[in-house]
Amino acid sequence: MATMTTTNQAAASTRQERPERAARTISPPVDIYETEKTYVLLADMPGVMPSGLEVVAERDELIVRGRVERPAAAPDYQEFELEDYYRAFTLTEDLDTDGISATLRDGVLRVEIPKSPGVQPKKIPVRTE
Amino acid sequence: METRSMRDPWQEMRRLQREMEHMFTDFTPAWRWPLTGEYPPMNFTRGDKDIAVEALCPGADRASLEVSVVGETVTIRGERHAEPGVSDEQYHRRERPIGTFTRSLGIGDRLDPDRTQATYTHGILRMQLARVPEATPKKIPIQN
Repeated sequence: MATMTTTNQAAASTRQERPERAARTISPPVDIYETEKTYVLLADMPGVMPSGLEVVAERDELIVRGRVERPAAAPDYQEFELEDYYRAFTLTEDLDTDGISATLRDGVLRVEIPKSPGVQPKKIPVRTE
Repeated sequence: METRSMRDPWQEMRRLQREMEHMFTDFTPAWRWPLTGEYPPMNFTRGDKDIAVEALCPGADRASLEVSVVGETVTIRGERHAEPGVSDEQYHRRERPIGTFTRSLGIGDRLDPDRTQATYTHGILRMQLARVPEATPKKIPIQN
């Protein structure tokens, strides 16, 4: 499996879903990009309401869980089935886990993970004499 | 044994295919393919009076979403935008499709476009489609 870890500045690499999880879950598709100060993770999780969303960062792991409400009866014609979501990512030391923020809009989860101040590019002001 | 007869006739095709894929990968990375074909996936349930249709399309630009009903067919259109101001080099992973999508689904009942309702919540486009009432038999009086 390809990881998103770069050679010298690692952020998070996708981890295999844990085999011990018995409940059926879907791994949501994600985009991960990097800005100067943060890593941004976007995950498609349609059907999840804010009350059913859980984003947990503990130790070196970021876990995203989403619960969906399944319809009482199966549809007459069906191309998709709503399932709960689960995906875990490995966090590296260069990330500030205390500053993580998450928002949910139109079925897309957005998690912003600030880089630790030590790894953020520092601008050196240049004085002219 | 003639070496030529041992050649896999599909080998050249596969080589060409690989070259084509490589070529397209250079210009159009896999994560940027347009949303065509069977996107978004749809479900529907028939009720007594109306039909409830759901389409799974998270992150669609609300202004781009369109629902139209003609005859027995419902068509939805929309667009998913890329993140503004983010260059390709900034991405570590891109799995979410972006682009415009169009999907038509035949319901099998004549639909009334004037009584169609649609909402978009939590990334699911939900439509209530009303059937055109069946023509009721009319008694024709027989003249003497």
